Amino acid sequence: MRLLFLLLAGCSLFGASVPEEARAILDGKCGSCHGETTGMSGFKVTSRENVLTGGTRGVGVKPGAADESVVYQAVAQTGKLKMPPGGKLSGAEIETIRTWIEQGAGWPTGTVAQVKRPEWWAFQKPKPVTDSKASIDYFIDQKIAAAKLEKAKAADRLTLLRRGSYDLTGLAPDAQQIAAFLEDHAPGAWERAVERLLASKQYGEKWGRYWLDLARYGDTSGFEQDPYILEGWRYRDYVIKSFNDDKPYDKFAKEQIAADELYPDDSEARTGTGFYRVGANRDMLFKVEEINAVERLTDAVDTTSAVFLGLTVGCARCHDHKFDPIPQKDYYRMQAVFAPAVNAQVFLEYNTARFSDLAANAREFKLRQFGEQIARIEKPYRKTLREKKIASLPEAARVAVNTEEAKRTGEQQSLVAQSNDPLKVTEDEVFAALSQADAERMQVIERKLVGTFNGHTAPPMAPGIVDVGREAPRTFIAERGNPENLGEEVRPGFLTALGGGEVAEPPLHAKTTFRRKALAEWVASPENALFARVMVNRIWQGHFGSGLVRTASDWGTRAGQPSHPELLDWLAQQFAEKKWSMKEMHKLIMTSEAYQRGADASPSAAAEDPANLLLSHMNRRRLQTEEIRDSVLQVAGELNLKQGGPPVVPPLEAEELFGIIGKPDASWLVTPDTTEHKRRTVYMISRRTFQQPLFEAFDSPDGVQSCPRRNESTTAPQSLALLNSKFMVEEAATLSAKVETVDSAWERVLGRKPDAKERDAADQFLAKQTKRLGQRQLAMTELVRGLMNLNEFLYVE
Amino acid sequence: MTRRDLLLRTGKGFGAVALTGLLQGADANPMAAKLPPLPSKVKSVIYLFMHGGVSHVDTFDPKPELTRRSGQPLSVELAKTIKTSFIHDPTKAILRGSPWAFQPGGKCGTPVSDLYPHLRERMDDVTVIRSCYGDVFDHAPAIYLRNSGSQFPGRPCLGSWVTYGLGSENQNLPAFVVMSDGSTKSGPPAYGAGFLPALYQGTVFRGGQTPILYLRNPAGVTDEAQRDTLGFIGQVDRMHDAARAADSTLDARIASYELAYRMQSAAPETVDFSKETEETKKLYGIGESATDDFGHKCLLARRLVERGVRFVQLYSGTNVGADWDEAHTDLVGSHTRMAGKSDKPIAGLLKDLKARGLLDSTLVIWGGEFGRTPLSQGATGRDHHPYGFTMWMAGGGVQGGRVLGATDEFGVQATEMRVDTHDVNATILRLMGLDHEKLTFLYQGRNMRLTDVKGENEFTKKLVA
Repeated sequence: MRLLFLLLAGCSLFGASVPEEARAILDGKCGSCHGETTGMSGFKVTSRENVLTGGTRGVGVKPGAADESVVYQAVAQTGKLKMPPGGKLSGAEIETIRTWIEQGAGWPTGTVAQVKRPEWWAFQKPKPVTDSKASIDYFIDQKIAAAKLEKAKAADRLTLLRRGSYDLTGLAPDAQQIAAFLEDHAPGAWERAVERLLASKQYGEKWGRYWLDLARYGDTSGFEQDPYILEGWRYRDYVIKSFNDDKPYDKFAKEQIAADELYPDDSEARTGTGFYRVGANRDMLFKVEEINAVERLTDAVDTTSAVFLGLTVGCARCHDHKFDPIPQKDYYRMQAVFAPAVNAQVFLEYNTARFSDLAANAREFKLRQFGEQIARIEKPYRKTLREKKIASLPEAARVAVNTEEAKRTGEQQSLVAQSNDPLKVTEDEVFAALSQADAERMQVIERKLVGTFNGHTAPPMAPGIVDVGREAPRTFIAERGNPENLGEEVRPGFLTALGGGEVAEPPLHAKTTFRRKALAEWVASPENALFARVMVNRIWQGHFGSGLVRTASDWGTRAGQPSHPELLDWLAQQFAEKKWSMKEMHKLIMTSEAYQRGADASPSAAAEDPANLLLSHMNRRRLQTEEIRDSVLQVAGELNLKQGGPPVVPPLEAEELFGIIGKPDASWLVTPDTTEHKRRTVYMISRRTFQQPLFEAFDSPDGVQSCPRRNESTTAPQSLALLNSKFMVEEAATLSAKVETVDSAWERVLGRKPDAKERDAADQFLAKQTKRLGQRQLAMTELVRGLMNLNEFLYVE
Repeated sequence: MTRRDLLLRTGKGFGAVALTGLLQGADANPMAAKLPPLPSKVKSVIYLFMHGGVSHVDTFDPKPELTRRSGQPLSVELAKTIKTSFIHDPTKAILRGSPWAFQPGGKCGTPVSDLYPHLRERMDDVTVIRSCYGDVFDHAPAIYLRNSGSQFPGRPCLGSWVTYGLGSENQNLPAFVVMSDGSTKSGPPAYGAGFLPALYQGTVFRGGQTPILYLRNPAGVTDEAQRDTLGFIGQVDRMHDAARAADSTLDARIASYELAYRMQSAAPETVDFSKETEETKKLYGIGESATDDFGHKCLLARRLVERGVRFVQLYSGTNVGADWDEAHTDLVGSHTRMAGKSDKPIAGLLKDLKARGLLDSTLVIWGGEFGRTPLSQGATGRDHHPYGFTMWMAGGGVQGGRVLGATDEFGVQATEMRVDTHDVNATILRLMGLDHEKLTFLYQGRNMRLTDVKGENEFTKKLVA
């Protein structure tokens, strides 16, 4: 009601009122640089007060006097300041701003989206860029020049190599790689370095991890029982391999949405449908199956839209989207696409998988027999042991236990319940009591059991989805999102805002509905306005820290304008032209001058563009959890680069496991093979109800919702973890045993020799700590521990 | 005075950087204490979370009719309104009256069962809310729901929202502290920051002299040696910094080490009870085997709020040991045991806060993820029951001595003044001076709220007027 009122109150005969139109223009055309977080030149268009006050250029708006208002001067381009930098507003828009100021610069209440606005740019197909001079630097430099900013100079070569190496592989360059690059003075050295990094197997582990964040990947389901998603890691390996193989992005997307319908005979492609299996699920919550089913559909629609289209459609579950043109009906049309999907096991090697299924069946039968046998042997011993325990109970409890159940008083019932634990007979107690003959019988069973499990390993299967058949369950709009209040029936279809479309009926003898196939083809099409742009923006974000559109998974009307609209469209065009090769996009970006700039802002950039929207310099970024842990292991010479396989559970201290659901020795089953413990972080288990403390401290995603960009926080618990955790302390000790001198410690950790001042400081430190701790070795450990805590180590620039 | 004390008191760390303003690389420290947007004198919250589910009809919601009809089935209509976890069919189960007698407490006479004799004496400070309800009857989703407004993990919980909205009065201690018995049925997501920045997540305080994870120096590293290593880090970081254009993120990282060092001093000082009188310790039941553990936690909670910590949450119960949920098979034993552990400490906490003049500025909340069925599970237990159950609040401007809301004659459904988790959370925020509709965070294109689109039955006025 309130919303409707706002709309009506502000409406003129021809649609939106002048203040509404003005606000829409300010928000749409100025908002990306003058928004709440950006506020370039101190100016924000987020409230009337802000607009009136203006920024460093003076009073923004003087109500009633357009010509004296900086905002008008800038958009009409009557003075020195010409805005927006990307291109002048239309005559009508400038007139609207003028009228609005002249009329007193009223400010409509309500949200921006309630204001009528022109068709949203992101939903329009990118305009073909035909400018022959088009390149990354061409577009970037234009804006820098227009804003009269001074660019940072090129980064030095070591900084550049380290940046490229972390960006593509999540690891620092080693000494050899550094030496090779620093000595390569032939033209094209940087291109060769980029190509080497792109060819390394570690590339997929770094960029696959970004994708796993998006795919809200986890190895368990969540909630109290938090069961394992047993072969979920096959999806993780599929993602890593897809990046390493440079699988065309359109194919990568299509496989995940609908490989079972598009490539039914390609088991590797079908592993991609694990996308719909590796999220949190509530399947273990019983008696609420209807809710679980709705949540599964919600997760499928929300995640698909966010990841492939950069749209948050979740609001439309309950009502038409408030900010974006996504009617509730569209949401349920998308749900209908997923309604027929059910869980399936993808057989990676058909025969082996079939036999493994059969073997599991026979094994289960055998195990039950073992169970019976063991119980039969143990039974008399358990009886005797229990009787002994009953005899040692306090009298009242003993009497209670020995009283027939129906005749127990309330107090006795309670005593019995309390005696349950003390009366439990453990396996150890039984074993200690076994006679020689029974012990031997047990040993025979034990040997057979060992034989049954020896070499038992993950079957060649992967979790995926298929359709239940040709006939799908019907889909209805849930009024106000309530699944018990069903409205109109809907057909499967796509978002109207992006052109829409309905799914055709499947052929008569089809085994599937082909709904997801239709969705996949609609999503991963050059005709889709968002598909290519969203992904190139993600790749851009991976290199510059932020995308050209800052909200990587929200391209709706609240996203604002891209900082470089033409560049964005040009990149999207390149992406399609280069056959959706992600490696080509990395190369394109990394060989630009913009990418190779140093991280120090020039004074003009620091003053005028503190958020570095115009990319006059590189953004410094903190290493992510994986990069920190992997780098520490790497510099200590301990990193195991083995790829793929089931999730690894590394040992943790009891205090680190505090809070885990259940008993740690049951909930945190440490991988027996210790060489596995020092593998790359992407292979460590991610339990949905328990994150390793280091991961939690450094903003790792929780795997519940798709994560388009991690937070980059700076907190004291991070420092405590890096200073004092057993992991850090052990790795520092390991490395210190391998280095003799300050110089070699510096080179191992930071990839360079110390300068004279640093060497001095380190020498003094070593001397002092040696005296304190009694041994130079211990002092060296302190030095290494210190180096691993330096900003130079923790940041890429 | 040790070297550590000296550093702590004079604040002269390495370089004496203006650390709080630098954290997060922002111009303003996000954890700086903020004035609440709405008038409120409340500075801190102590949330006592009874994990596993406490039976409301055996504690704060007496039901004589239930006792009278003990052994009989519930009407089919009423039985069909509830879902149960382990009771196979609520229409076939029998009602069970409370085995505990109720007595009026305080001058106000609010009835409390014999499970809580100490707490009963504090009822003049307590307002009981008998009409809480929810729709989730499994532990983990219900714990997430009560804490974060969503039965899925991944949303920021109440403590995170409060610290996000109000910052903290003490920069040397975490703003949001959690104490538990270890394993819970929900795990850490129940005190996670969700999509809010990581600094708003609850920090777990464990037992012992170094309550925060990684607080201890590495083995063999003395305080002085640790200090020198930190000094070395700061020294080399500043050389690195000096060679670069100003970047607040680098300065913030330097400051975070300073803060970590301060925390290494401040946290042990907080958990050191040596300056507490014997009388105080006795008040909390410290030294008695049943109450020692929870008494420690409650006294520590008081010491934390005294030092300006914004939000303290205490869990009573664990899924790998003594828990309220053992009431499935043993109502009498579980509730006797769990109330026995916490009755005296909680009563002591209320009394102590009041005596020190802290009760007005500290909101104390008691509740859990749900209540328990008035129906018997087996012969000796009660099942999960979210449809009507009790919470209570004290301090923080709440007028004590009242009972709000009601359930039906058997304690099955909340009937009067029904309040769900959003209403309760909206009320808690309002008591803190925060408007639940305005405390938002932009995420995935939406201004997210703790109360989502709900909370319209916020009932602060009934508590304070």
